[in-house]
Amino acid sequence: MLTYTPGETLAHRLDPRGKLAVQFGFAIAVFAGPAVPWLPAMLALAVGCLLLAGLSVWRALRAYWVVLVVLSLGPVLGAVTIGPPWIQPERGLDSLRSVARVVPVLFVSAAFVHSTPVRETRAAIQRTVPGRFGQLLGVGVALTFRFIPVVREDLRRIREAVLARGGERRPLRDRAGRITTLALARSMARADRLSVALQARCFAWNPTLPRLSFAPVDYAVLALAAGLALSPLLWL
Amino acid sequence: MSQEYSDSVDLVNAGTVAYLSGAVLIAALTAVLAQFSIDLPGGVPFSFQPFGVFFAGVLLGPIWGGFSMLLYLLVGIAGAPVFSNGTAGVGIVLGPTGGFLISYVFAAAAIGLVAHRSLDPVGVDDLPAVGVTAGLVVGSAIIYAIGVPWFAEVQGWTLPRAAGFMAPFAVGDAVKIAITVGIVAGGNELLERP
Repeated sequence: MLTYTPGETLAHRLDPRGKLAVQFGFAIAVFAGPAVPWLPAMLALAVGCLLLAGLSVWRALRAYWVVLVVLSLGPVLGAVTIGPPWIQPERGLDSLRSVARVVPVLFVSAAFVHSTPVRETRAAIQRTVPGRFGQLLGVGVALTFRFIPVVREDLRRIREAVLARGGERRPLRDRAGRITTLALARSMARADRLSVALQARCFAWNPTLPRLSFAPVDYAVLALAAGLALSPLLWL
Repeated sequence: MSQEYSDSVDLVNAGTVAYLSGAVLIAALTAVLAQFSIDLPGGVPFSFQPFGVFFAGVLLGPIWGGFSMLLYLLVGIAGAPVFSNGTAGVGIVLGPTGGFLISYVFAAAAIGLVAHRSLDPVGVDDLPAVGVTAGLVVGSAIIYAIGVPWFAEVQGWTLPRAAGFMAPFAVGDAVKIAITVGIVAGGNELLERP
């Protein structure tokens, strides 16, 4: 599983806002540009991002193997027709040109995930999205991240309790309904407790945020993001 | 003292805190359910993924339900392994199944709007079964309306081919709609909030 791993690489030291911008700029550049020779150049840039984050291509491929299997179905099933001529290679090639664009985007997002802690992304969201909506998004992302393991543990306990009572012999509808209702009830009870806890701690619209600051290299990263986002103009 | 403090603390009101907390927990539950399945006879997995979207709209209403799914999406983009098979990142959102993930935001909002018939949610025990069913059908239609063309575009397939590929999943979703209506219709004492 690909998650944040602490490190000292250049990618780890960059400001999360610049890295988020590069991801979106990169995606625009990849999807809006021509397949050849632009796509191989983008793939090389994506591999460069992986290396800057200290992540091997193999690990990125392994992390996204399910997506890659789905993508590989594209050209295979795309070329098959029901009825003569049964196989149309040019349709498979069209599909290949389309799915190949996703791979470099996956690599760049793997580099981001590997080198950026969620709390930094939260701060980036909160600093970038203006107003109270941005505040709620930032706090919401941080709290959701915090509660995922708690809810996962709740669900594990519910599943074990249902199994211990012979639940696997119940019909599907009863079994799924039981598990979902209990998981939901526990989550809503936790939501009520979280709400009280936030108010007890004076949850405010003007909190003290973690510091984020741009170093000279971050401006270079931002310029790269802008260049990538504007690259479709080259093909007009 | 070099540190500066603001003049006053601007507290978030109790209603917003309550809905934010609900949105956070439903987003976390969606993330967990996306990894969860039970095996049907013959080893076919029965995925719990859509339940999070359904409950976001039904329990939180259009605004906070949509917000909850936006949180789920952002947590995944930020790097938490919350998408199917424990994946994360912008690459997944822009990949073949990304349309389904993005559609959750709109689907939850639509489910909330149809089920509650207002921007302000009412209690679960006041929701009519017909409204909830209609909301879930509309929500599922939105999920497929965004997800399938997206899938076709990324895979380089024609729309009918992508729709044919995705059709079997619609059967499972119909069962999940029935289960969800069964849980909430006519009230459920486990889900009533103070």
